[in-house]
Amino acid sequence: MDRETLRRLELLNQLKLTEEQKEEITAFFDCREKDLAVLNAIDTSQTERQVHVMPIMTVVREDIASQPFTVEELQKGAPDTDQGYWCVPRVVE
Amino acid sequence: MNYETVIGLEVHVELATKSKIFCSCNAKYGAGPNEHVCPACCGMPGMLPVVNKRVVDYGMKAGMMLNCHINRTTTFDKKSYYYPDLPCAYQTTQWFAPVAVNGTVEIETSKGKKNIRIKQIHMEEDAGKLVHDIAEDTTHVDFNRTSVPLIEIVSQPDLSSAEEVEAYLERLKMLLRYAKVAECAMEHGTMRCDVNLSVRPEGSDQLGVRTEMKNMNSIEAIKHAIEYETARHIDAIENGTEVLVQETRRWDDIKGKSFAMRNKETAGDYRYFPDPNLMPVVIDDAWYDSIQASLPELPEEKYARYTEQLGLSEYDAAQLVKSIALCECFEAAHAVCGSAKDAANWMISEIMSILNQRKMTYDMLNINGTSLGELIKLVMDGTVGRANGKKILNAMFEDASIVPAEYAEKNGYIMSNDTGLIEQVVKAAIEAEPKAVADYKGGKEKAIMSIFGRCMKELKGNCDPQTLRTILIDTINKM
Ligand SMILES: [Zn+2]
Repeated sequence: MDRETLRRLELLNQLKLTEEQKEEITAFFDCREKDLAVLNAIDTSQTERQVHVMPIMTVVREDIASQPFTVEELQKGAPDTDQGYWCVPRVVE
Repeated sequence: MNYETVIGLEVHVELATKSKIFCSCNAKYGAGPNEHVCPACCGMPGMLPVVNKRVVDYGMKAGMMLNCHINRTTTFDKKSYYYPDLPCAYQTTQWFAPVAVNGTVEIETSKGKKNIRIKQIHMEEDAGKLVHDIAEDTTHVDFNRTSVPLIEIVSQPDLSSAEEVEAYLERLKMLLRYAKVAECAMEHGTMRCDVNLSVRPEGSDQLGVRTEMKNMNSIEAIKHAIEYETARHIDAIENGTEVLVQETRRWDDIKGKSFAMRNKETAGDYRYFPDPNLMPVVIDDAWYDSIQASLPELPEEKYARYTEQLGLSEYDAAQLVKSIALCECFEAAHAVCGSAKDAANWMISEIMSILNQRKMTYDMLNINGTSLGELIKLVMDGTVGRANGKKILNAMFEDASIVPAEYAEKNGYIMSNDTGLIEQVVKAAIEAEPKAVADYKGGKEKAIMSIFGRCMKELKGNCDPQTLRTILIDTINKM
C-alpha cells in the first residue's frame, strides 16, 4: 500500500497514526493484498452470492408507530441541548 | 459542433409509512424537535435495528411499478461518513443487493416515446436536520427525520434534455402515487433529486466529465440547472473557460448558477460494508405474490377502460387519470349513481374546478366518492336542482361526513313539483317587474331573465328550470 492511500484512509477514518503505526499497517495491508490476489484469481462469475454465513434471515415488524421515550429522557446524558435540540459545534459545509 | 447532454437522475422518495425504517418512531413530519426519536434512531450505543415490513412492501411495489427485477434476497449495508445529521456516523442503505434492479420507465415528450432504464431502487434511511440559525456558535440537531424510510431510484444516463427529465419525474410521481407508496411532493421535500450531467459531441460513445447537483427540490429549478450546466460544460469544452472536474455542485436557484461544493466522493470513500446487525431480507413466494396482487391498475389501463367500457370521451378520461384520487372518487360515484357520464361530468366541471379554486392538488381530494354518487343521483332524478347540488358539494368539501340527502332536506334544497306554488311565485314576480314584462312583450326576449331569476330565488332554486320557464311564458302571454 502506498503512502497516499494510507493518508486517505487516515483522513476518512479520522485517525492520527504515528510513523511506527504507519509502518505496521502498511506491512499488514501488503500481506492482505497478496491474499486477496489469490482469492481474486478464482472465477466466481457462476457462483451464487453468499449473503450470510448462516442460513438465516431477518425478522420484520409491522408498521406501527409508538413513542416510548421523551426528549428529556433521551437527552439526559447529552453535553449540550437547547429547546429540545442537541447542540454540536457549528458545522457549515 | 453539436453537443448532446447525458443526464442520469437519483431520485429520493420518502415512503408513506407510519413508522421509521428500523425503529417504531413516528415517521410523520411536523413534530417539535426530537419528539419522534428513540435510542435506536439517535444512535445510542447497543441499540439494534428491526426492519419495518411495510418499507420492504413499498420498495418491492415501487420496483414492480417500474418494471424491475425484484431481488428475492435483499440486504442492508453501512455507508460511512461523518456529519452531525447522521448520529451513527453511517447510513444504513443497500449497496450489494438492492431490493429492485434493471427496470424501465416509459416517458413521452414532444419527440415521442422513450424508455428510460432504471439501474436500481434501494431502501435506506433519511438523515436528520441541522439548524444553523438559532445560535451563532452552535448547530442545533433535530433527529426527527433520521431513519425515516426512503427509496432511491437510480436511472441509467438515458435522459438527454430538461424536457425528458420533467417527463420522467412526472411519470415517476404518477406511478408511485398510483401505487400509494409515497406522496412525492417536491415542495414538501418528500421527493428530492440529484442530477448527474455530462456533455459530449453528438454521436460520441464516450462520456464527458460528470458533475452532480444535489438535492434539487423543484422541477423548475432542475430545468434551469440543466440548462445552466449544459451551457457551462459546452463553454468549458469549446473555449477552455475552465477545466471540468468530477465534482458535486450546489444549485443556487436565486442566483441562477451552480457552485462547486466538493470533489465527488467515490464509492470507496464511503467504505460500504454489509450491516452485521441486519440479516438478509428473504422475500418468499407468498410475500412476493401478495405485493404483486396489490398493484394498481395503471393510468393507461384506466384510460382504456374508461373510454372503451364506460363510454367516456378521450378528454374526460385523460382528465380523470391524472390522479389516482380523482379516479377513485369517480369510480365510487359511478358505482352509486350508475351513470359514468354524469359522474365524470361532476368530477371535471365541479370537483376539479373547486380544487383549483381552493388551490388544492388533485391528490388532496377529500370527497367521499360514495357520497358524491348519492348527490349525483339526487340531481339526476330531479330531487335536487343542479345549482343547489353544487352548494351541497361545496359543503361536502368542508365536512366530509355530510350525507347529501339529509343535508338537502335540512337546508331546504328539495325540488318542488307544486305547480300551484310556482304559479303563485310567478304571479308575484310579474307584478313586481312591470317594466321587464313590457320589454318582453315589446320583443326583448332577454328581458324575461330578470323575472325568471327573481322566481328562482324565491323558490330557493328548488324548481326545474324548464317547468318554471314554461309557466312564466304562458302566464305573460295570457296577460
Ligand atoms: Zn426511533
